[in-house]
Amino acid sequence: MAVDRSEVERRVKATVARVLDLEPEQVTDESNFIFDLGADSQQSVEMVAAFEEEFDIEMDEDEALAVQNVRDAVEFISEILDQ
Amino acid sequence: MEYRSLTAQEISELEDAGCHAEEWSRVLVAEGFRPGAVARCTFSGAVRLGAFEEPIRHGATHLPSGVRDSYLHEVTVGSNSLVQSVGLLANYDVGREACILSCDSLTVEGETSFGNGVRIEVLNEGGGREIPLFDRLSAPVAYLAVCYRHRPRLVDAIEQMVRHYAAGKEGTRGAIGEGARVLNCRTIRNVAIGVRATLEGCTLLQNGTICSSAEAPTTVGAGVTASDFIIGTGSVVDGGAMLKQCFVGQACRIGRQFSAEGSAFFANTECFHGEAVSVLAGPYTVSHHKSTLLIAGVFSFYNAGSGTNQSNHMYKLGPLHQGVVERGSKTGSSSYLLWPSRVGPFTVVLGKHSAHFDTGSLPFSYIDESDGRSVLWPALNLFTTGTKRDGMKWAARDRRTDPEKLDPIRFEVFSPLTVGRMMQGIAELEELYASAPREQEYVRHVGIDIKRLLCRRAPRRYRMAVEAYLGETLVRRLEAAEDPADALARPSAGAAGEGDWVDLLGLLAPRGQVESLCDAVERGQVDTLDALQGRLQALCDAYEDHEWAWVLAAWEEWHGEVPAKMSTAELAGVVRDWEETALKLNAMILKDAQKEFDQTSRIGYGSDGGGEAQSRDFQAVRGEFETNEFVRTLREESETIRARARAVLSALGAAGEE
Repeated sequence: MAVDRSEVERRVKATVARVLDLEPEQVTDESNFIFDLGADSQQSVEMVAAFEEEFDIEMDEDEALAVQNVRDAVEFISEILDQ
Repeated sequence: MEYRSLTAQEISELEDAGCHAEEWSRVLVAEGFRPGAVARCTFSGAVRLGAFEEPIRHGATHLPSGVRDSYLHEVTVGSNSLVQSVGLLANYDVGREACILSCDSLTVEGETSFGNGVRIEVLNEGGGREIPLFDRLSAPVAYLAVCYRHRPRLVDAIEQMVRHYAAGKEGTRGAIGEGARVLNCRTIRNVAIGVRATLEGCTLLQNGTICSSAEAPTTVGAGVTASDFIIGTGSVVDGGAMLKQCFVGQACRIGRQFSAEGSAFFANTECFHGEAVSVLAGPYTVSHHKSTLLIAGVFSFYNAGSGTNQSNHMYKLGPLHQGVVERGSKTGSSSYLLWPSRVGPFTVVLGKHSAHFDTGSLPFSYIDESDGRSVLWPALNLFTTGTKRDGMKWAARDRRTDPEKLDPIRFEVFSPLTVGRMMQGIAELEELYASAPREQEYVRHVGIDIKRLLCRRAPRRYRMAVEAYLGETLVRRLEAAEDPADALARPSAGAAGEGDWVDLLGLLAPRGQVESLCDAVERGQVDTLDALQGRLQALCDAYEDHEWAWVLAAWEEWHGEVPAKMSTAELAGVVRDWEETALKLNAMILKDAQKEFDQTSRIGYGSDGGGEAQSRDFQAVRGEFETNEFVRTLREESETIRARARAVLSALGAAGEE
């Protein structure tokens, strides 16, 4: 069954806001984790763990850390959920 | 050497040259002695002079050997040496071809053992962990004497051995070794000076030994003051360094006004500018910057950032706290640790920490400060450029040229010590994650906070490292033997390497073997320092055998299989898994290295131009990622991994199979 992308997007944004201690509206589709949202390397790893927990999935850390922005994160996670 | 009395003619010539003697009959000379090489000297007590026939090299020039403008009391001067303008040279035997020039005084006064036997208060300033110095002290012997206080009979036995050794060094005469150079020094008192040592411009040296050899000459330079000390072969102590009750091991560099008290530094240590008090500094301890204080701690393979500081003295009973910073760790600029704490291996400490923590079971981590709270980021320093580079550089930077290397060192980053700790860490982190409610941001682990979510991720990083290490060890075995059955058999030492491992300040060894050695010392079966050193070196030499025993046991625990019972197909699977993991780890490290070339790293470059200038300026200074030496080395390593995997699979008859 295909995942509901809008639901994934909502949960990704909420997770990002929680980990980076931001207001939810600060997190947009285009937000770059590092340059726009200020994530450092440690927070990036924490965010990967947060996505895993939120969606009950396992992500390859190397591939997950290559994802730069919210839109790509939604895509990346949706693909895993689709499998 | 045979000596004879002076002839009347020679005495007359010496007096004409401005020489005086308390008793000319007590001045003896070697065959070939020429009075013309001696002028304006005063002799008292028994003095023996060599033949001064050859000039002595001094910088770019050659000076005539001989004795001039000096006061000699109870001295032997070797042939072809030069003693000139020395206010007082007393109770020394000067070797051949030595040069002592423009010094105030070099004297041995009364009974001395030249720093041997001096007890220094390392690690705990309040006492209780003293080590007696001797000129062959090694890092693991020091570690046992300082840190194994739970075995008082062991410590007593080591101290007894050192007392015996120091007694053998006692005397009322000192030696200045063959070819040594002592130039422009002020006061040198009760100091033994080794072969080919250079002392130049020292201010005050007293009660010490400067070990030196032709292969590893030692230098003590300008403005140095040192008392109650030993300096090892091949070391350089200069730049106004101040040492009080210190041991400096082989091939160390101490200088630029560094001051140290009650501290021992072992092979390849480099300390400049800062200060050390009551420190047990194992091999490759590095502190290069001002305002850096190392105090009451054990360190090894360590790098101190500027302004690094620790406190051992916050409570009311005096400076009795101590810290342990395990091998491979670094402390960032202005970082602070309030002892007692223990920092696990290969950990980076940033910020100021007044919490008392123990991160020994969570190596390869970051310890950071967040709103005054100490936070551990487990396993984040595992696949970083810094850790990889450190592992490459230490062995390559071993400066010891003495044929006898006193500190037995194992350089491995991944070893039964660190991998065993990671296996322990995995269990601890998983337990923490499982037991913490989801809404909890942090969990507490032996005095430090960890983000709960990291307890979910970090075990996977540790697992990758464990699997890469176990696979690498097994592949190495397969490469070394023609028959897999031989390769995977138990080592000749049996199960001697199983169980926990310990790090004796550079020497990695199974705890059980170390305990057995301690038992032997306590029973008197090892009763000399040479024998103890020999047993420690043997432990170091047996590393691979012990490691293999450990890996076999760990493999069974980790994979639930016995390597020797695996089929060829299963072994081929192991080799392929190892190849995949090892390549993946290298790729992660390469990605980390890539950050050094990203836009952020370019800030400050091309400061008077636009983007193009910035790019070109950066490239001119830092070069390209693709041609960077570290990057190329890592890529070559990846190629080697592929080639090794192919070769082993081919040997197994499994090449091309999946």
